[in-house]
Amino acid sequence: MTVASGEPVLECSGIRKSFGDHAAVKGVGFSIAHGETYGLLGPNGAGKTTTISMISGLLEPDAGEIRLAGEPMTPDSTHTKRLVGLVPQDLAIYPDLDATENLEFFGRLQGMKGAELDRRVAEVLEIIELTDRAGDRTEQYSGGMKRRLNIGVGLLHRPTLLILDEPTVGVDPQSRNAILDSVERLGEEGMAVLYTTHYMEEAERLCDRIGIVDQGELIAEGTQADLVRIVGQRDRLTLTATGSLAATAAALGELEVVDDAGVAGDEIVLIVDQAHDHLPRILEMAARTGSMVKSVDVDSADLESVFLKLTGRALRE
Amino acid sequence: MKPVAIARVNLVRFFRDRQAIFSVFLLPMLIVLLLGAMQGGASTPKLGFSVAEDDALTGELLGILDTVEGFEVIEVGDADSAVREVERGGLRAAVIVPAGYESTLRAGGDVEIRLMTRAGQEIQGISEVIGAAVTQQATLLRTARFAQQTGAGSFDDALAIAMMAQEALPPVEVVASIAGEPFVLAGLGQFDVYAQGMLVLFIFITTLNGAVTLVRSRQLGVSRRMYSTPTPIRTMLAGEALSRFTLAIIQGGFIFIGTWLIFGVTWGSPLGSILTILAFSLAATAAAMLLGALVSNEQQAGAISTALGLGLAALGGCMFPLAVFELLSDTVYRVAHVTPHAWALEAFQKLVAEDGGVGDIWGFLLVLVGYAAVLGVLAVWRLRRVLVR
Ligand SMILES: Nc1ncnc2c1ncn2[C@@H]1O[C@H](COP(=O)(O)OP(=O)(O)OP(=O)(O)O)[C@@H](O)[C@H]1O
Ligand SMILES: [Mg+2]
Repeated sequence: MTVASGEPVLECSGIRKSFGDHAAVKGVGFSIAHGETYGLLGPNGAGKTTTISMISGLLEPDAGEIRLAGEPMTPDSTHTKRLVGLVPQDLAIYPDLDATENLEFFGRLQGMKGAELDRRVAEVLEIIELTDRAGDRTEQYSGGMKRRLNIGVGLLHRPTLLILDEPTVGVDPQSRNAILDSVERLGEEGMAVLYTTHYMEEAERLCDRIGIVDQGELIAEGTQADLVRIVGQRDRLTLTATGSLAATAAALGELEVVDDAGVAGDEIVLIVDQAHDHLPRILEMAARTGSMVKSVDVDSADLESVFLKLTGRALRE
Repeated sequence: MKPVAIARVNLVRFFRDRQAIFSVFLLPMLIVLLLGAMQGGASTPKLGFSVAEDDALTGELLGILDTVEGFEVIEVGDADSAVREVERGGLRAAVIVPAGYESTLRAGGDVEIRLMTRAGQEIQGISEVIGAAVTQQATLLRTARFAQQTGAGSFDDALAIAMMAQEALPPVEVVASIAGEPFVLAGLGQFDVYAQGMLVLFIFITTLNGAVTLVRSRQLGVSRRMYSTPTPIRTMLAGEALSRFTLAIIQGGFIFIGTWLIFGVTWGSPLGSILTILAFSLAATAAAMLLGALVSNEQQAGAISTALGLGLAALGGCMFPLAVFELLSDTVYRVAHVTPHAWALEAFQKLVAEDGGVGDIWGFLLVLVGYAAVLGVLAVWRLRRVLVR
């Protein structure tokens, strides 16, 4: 499926969605060009899946507009849905069918049939590296294999826009790499991809442009370089520690050299101007406020720092 | 042809489940076999004997029947309960002796002894046995009466003479008349009642169980995924309904043909039976879709479909014939007709017991299609909102 050049594959603006009185998406808008891989980066509950559900026509937005290759998309836009290949966050395959049968079934729903369908099923099985196991019921697959098939179903009809919702969640590092490789390849082959994740490394590796979402809002958007510029030439300092991390983070946040401080699990993440110069002072403060620092990492600014800078919270939990 | 693709996948998945195949195809046959066997088959058939008045002659008749091999004679209460027992299948046949049997015969009048059987189920030679016994008694009495009238002394003396002379006398023709009343179940054989009931019961349970599949598709996320393809909800619903309906008629056809070939069940007009199976399957499909729309998880769907399936079947006359309901009370009979089961069974019984054709059952079929329409509309209205939520 080709799209008139120049016209964005996806264009959405001001989309909103509330569940009861909880506003999950509060006016998100962005666009994706032909052949572009766009990442939606945000923590759990940021509204990524809700946004994607509206874009793929599963959910009716309360407000806003969504266009795919110029065609408006709502849940009733049956014809427009052919442009999208959705890979849902949760597995959506039949456990009691094998990979071939799953692919054939969803292929038929995409309107494919006959020799074209057979050929494409074989092709996709190659892409997701399941040709050998194509005849086994998917309930016998490993987590990674199921994930790959889940992606394969979305690819089958060569969608204009492939939407991947956290496709690597709960996957071992090896499978994860394989998945990232194939997404990268699809992007290079010119398929437009919308990729959501809460792993900044994935966004950094795959995406031409990234939108950072938090609490239902798109708080920043641009290339990785654009985004990192928000933080300036600052370092990200990660302290792995035990003790009263929250108190330490709060106290460190007060230091004039520390731009932002947040806690993520057993880590305190800081954005610091010239981290190496201020390290002794920071460690001393940590000890004084009840945290035992076990290791220290200094990185140049990345998306993690951008998120911290923009929200005052760490991206990971 | 997307509905066909959806139905195909559902059926392929169904036929991979061995347990489901057992409960959908083998279990109904086993139950028909079991109930039918309990009924007749290996066990001695029971012959009811109902007397309105205990006199010497009826006692003697009972004695004669008792000595006949091949069935067990059981004394039952009044004529009505004898009839009911035959219908229910508790008795293979019943002999009903009217009040004043002895006195009428002594007076030289005709008496009618009724023999109730279910057609196709006559105990070989029973009417002849009874006929012979009654004829014997009547002949004695008539001879005695004749002897008395021609002045051979008292009736009792005459009877004594007659008894000595009886060997020489030809039997008097027909004193016992056999009344095989065309009652609702009169045409049904040993397995017939159960085959109809079980066909209806199992089609409904199996189809209703489709609600589980529907809920599972929702939980697996495949329903949402289907909706992300160019497939409108009405197509998805059509596919789901088509798979339920197809399975129902496959099952119905299997039980229909299986019970006919294996147990020799009489189904009456094949076209009528097929139309009844189709109409009932349609109603069951709509009920399953509605249930699938109303429940929120598999356990709920499973429990409710089984409970509802058995409950409605019992209420609708799959386990105890509707005729029994009718005898019990008008209200029970009317309540039974809240279920589509009752209408399907009425249709089957019209076809078998009354040898009816399609023309005799179209009213019942219309009611079943009406059920399908009403439940179907409700289901589609509900499902549109919950299927891809
Ligand atoms: N169907 C729903 N009903 C009620 N609330 C919902 C529903 N779907 C999502 N939400 C709420 O909307 C918010 C956004 O959810 P969403 O699933 O879009 O987040 P997400 O960014 O995809 O998170 P995650 O990374 O965990 O997948 C959350 O607070 C969630 O609880
Ligand atoms: Mg999500």
